[in-house]
Amino acid sequence: MQELEQWKEQASHLLNVANDYLREVPPNQLYAAAAIAVFTTLLLLLRFLKRTKSNTIVLTGLSGSGKTVIFYQLRDGSTHQGTVTSMEPNEDTFVLHGETTKKGKIKPVHIVDVPGHSRLRPKLDEYLPQAAGIVFVVDALDFLPNCRAASEYLYDLLTKGSVVRKKIPLLILCNKTDKVTAHTKEFIRKQIEKEIEKLRASRSAVSDADVTNEFTLGVPGEPFSFTQCSNTVTTADASGLTGEISQLEEFIRAHVKP
Amino acid sequence: MLEQLLIFTRGGLILWSCNEIGNALKGSPIDTLIRSCLLEERSGASSYNYDAPGAAYSLKWTFHNDLGLVFVAVYQRILHLLYVDDLLAAVKREFSQVYDPTRTVYRDFDEIFKQLKIEAEARAEDLKKSNPVIVGGNRKQQVTWKGDGSDGKKNGSAGGGLKNDGDGKNGKKNSENDRSAIVNNGNGYNLRSNGVVGNVSVNGKENDSVNNGAFDVNRLQKKVRNKGGNGKKTDAVVTKAEPKKVVKKNRVWDEKPVETKLDFTDHVDIDGDADKDRKVDYLAKEQGESMMDKDEIFSSDSEDEEDDDDDNAGKKSKPDAKKKGWFSSMFQSIAGKANLEKSDLEPALKALKDRLMTKNVAEEIAEKLCESVAASLEGKKLASFTRISSTVQAAMEDALVRILTPRRSIDILRDVHAAKEQRKPYVVVFVGVNGVGKSTNLAKVAYWLQQHNVNVMMAACDTFRSGAVEQLRTHARRLQIPIFEKGYEKDPAVVAKEAIQEASRNGSDVVLVDTAGRMQDNEPLMRALSKLIYLNNPDLVLFVGEALVGNDAVDQLSKFNQKLADLSTSPTPRLIDGILLTKFDTIDDKVGAALSMVYISGAPVMFVGCGQSYTDLKKLNVKSIVKTLLK
Repeated sequence: MQELEQWKEQASHLLNVANDYLREVPPNQLYAAAAIAVFTTLLLLLRFLKRTKSNTIVLTGLSGSGKTVIFYQLRDGSTHQGTVTSMEPNEDTFVLHGETTKKGKIKPVHIVDVPGHSRLRPKLDEYLPQAAGIVFVVDALDFLPNCRAASEYLYDLLTKGSVVRKKIPLLILCNKTDKVTAHTKEFIRKQIEKEIEKLRASRSAVSDADVTNEFTLGVPGEPFSFTQCSNTVTTADASGLTGEISQLEEFIRAHVKP
Repeated sequence: MLEQLLIFTRGGLILWSCNEIGNALKGSPIDTLIRSCLLEERSGASSYNYDAPGAAYSLKWTFHNDLGLVFVAVYQRILHLLYVDDLLAAVKREFSQVYDPTRTVYRDFDEIFKQLKIEAEARAEDLKKSNPVIVGGNRKQQVTWKGDGSDGKKNGSAGGGLKNDGDGKNGKKNSENDRSAIVNNGNGYNLRSNGVVGNVSVNGKENDSVNNGAFDVNRLQKKVRNKGGNGKKTDAVVTKAEPKKVVKKNRVWDEKPVETKLDFTDHVDIDGDADKDRKVDYLAKEQGESMMDKDEIFSSDSEDEEDDDDDNAGKKSKPDAKKKGWFSSMFQSIAGKANLEKSDLEPALKALKDRLMTKNVAEEIAEKLCESVAASLEGKKLASFTRISSTVQAAMEDALVRILTPRRSIDILRDVHAAKEQRKPYVVVFVGVNGVGKSTNLAKVAYWLQQHNVNVMMAACDTFRSGAVEQLRTHARRLQIPIFEKGYEKDPAVVAKEAIQEASRNGSDVVLVDTAGRMQDNEPLMRALSKLIYLNNPDLVLFVGEALVGNDAVDQLSKFNQKLADLSTSPTPRLIDGILLTKFDTIDDKVGAALSMVYISGAPVMFVGCGQSYTDLKKLNVKSIVKTLLK
């Protein structure tokens, strides 16, 4: 009990000292200090809010599927003089080219085009945590030879912790559909589902020797389909060369509110 | 003729391509260049050859790292275009002036390019014309050239430092240029411009400083010597050489002279007194204020050693200089350095190279990696509050992750299932030199596959070493796996063939083929291996290598690949698809062999053997390897 009293006394004494000190300081300085404190908290708050409301769309897919072309179609509405294999991600924040004519204030979108070369895939992990949506670009023209590689990549993507936990929506974008021999998106979806089913069998064979994915896909005992994923997976058509990307723009606007 | 010249961003957008040349390239040399050369950390090389049906191209490239631009020139390989390097450098210079990140169309660059190309071609023509002069008249000049052999060599090495002269062609060109420069010296005015051209290709990016004023061999030699002798010091001046110098000053009268001081006197001796002033001037011009210090050392060392006053003055000025160095480096670290140059990077790269080599990375590989990292950093802006060493380290880490990340899928089970659907066995051939653990690790792989409900069969195709079949039989018995054997003295290729037939008959999913260990130089055995692989067309050729190996890793893998390619009778030879790294538990932190092997072959490490029992088989953890390598 006595100790408590002692503490109290000390506290009140300290309070007095602080009060005296405050009175000594000119009020102008006090106001300035308070203003700075408020300002910093506001800034921090603003940053925090900004981070939670992401406007990032990540373009990914195999090398040569046409991600960079789509990136520039979204930004400038033209493919310029063509593209070569990317060595570094393209990223930019802009108002979509198709919406530049619209009236009113439109929120710009942050779009990242991550190179598809397998050596550069670790780069993807840097962008996934802040993604509001993922676009997986598939070459619909040259699909069958690349089917397995594309499915493996997609499988890895769909079992990544950062994707599953935040339920980031994913769009499978079938590119190059302007060509006559291109496969339909239904066909591509089915093929990829089939491939992932096989992958599930081989990858779930877990042993100490394996690098295990954090999450498994689908429901055991049932054939895999994208509806079993915790995040929504949709498919769409596009043609990067002719600039037919309206479905993609819809997807982006559905997840990044203007 | 030049086929194409492209300018694109590292992001992949083509900014400008040569319109008037216009003829379409066969195949896609640019994409191939990026995928198989620039992204494989081979950008330190000087040129890349691309073969397409009906065309053979050579590609040369240069980076502008600060702006993130890549310049690539494509030309027919049969034409040895001498002006390409020169042209690329000129295009880079001009284009970086008009470049604007928001702009994507640069049609107005057409005119500039046309001009540059004409100039470059003209210079190349001149150079060609000047070459016969040597043959025609000046024997004396030839002699001079021979006499200066050592310098020439030095020069060559300096040039090599700047530009990798991996292939002989470049080296030859260097020496050609040297010769022309010397001839030029003798012949006087007419050819001066050629000499400058030659110098451009020899010294690469340093040329600008040399071009001013008259050009003579003395100057060139001195320049080279400066490079060779003072190179380290120059670099150190930027960072922390000043304290060292104070020490040196105090020890002038010590018993054992400091080595570097001897070096200085040497210089003075060779250059002579008359040249000294010019040399100092020259250095000062090149390296800025810090050379002031050096000037003082010269004077105190050579002339007035007993002069106390002078000494005192020197001592007084030393701390001053030191302070300045500290302050400027501080300032630099805050403001960020303008542009990184080769000389800035060199000390950090050298330290990094040494560190890699202590981790058992083959020297050749470490060298190439450092060159590639240098190529990717040169000209870049250093961010504020970062040091060069940390920037270099980060770039190296990126590069290492990129190299070690497998290019192809290493999911063998997936491949096995795919083969199962086609109702044919999945064949894996284990190859390697003697005693690396092929049979042991074959058993481990068999055990791992067995754990995943795959029917495995072993094929004993080591019909060479005594006891090999029995060894494999013991493993098979312990694992309860069927084994196919035909005893010794049989052709292994035939045994393997029969084993595969047997496997498809009894429904085995995987056939693991054990082969005899062979040294990479043993031609008959390599021929037999090549035959075995050609005849059976396995799904996976697994090279088994031990993690203990150092520089020999490069030799083993490249020779194996080379022999498999050369000795194969088929037009599309099979090469090594994957690597099995054994004895990984014995090496502690010397994990460099993994990097060497992956870099040299481009094949991924599929398994890592890390112990004596059947369960000791792992996958390579790229992150931990990179961490260990850079520790």
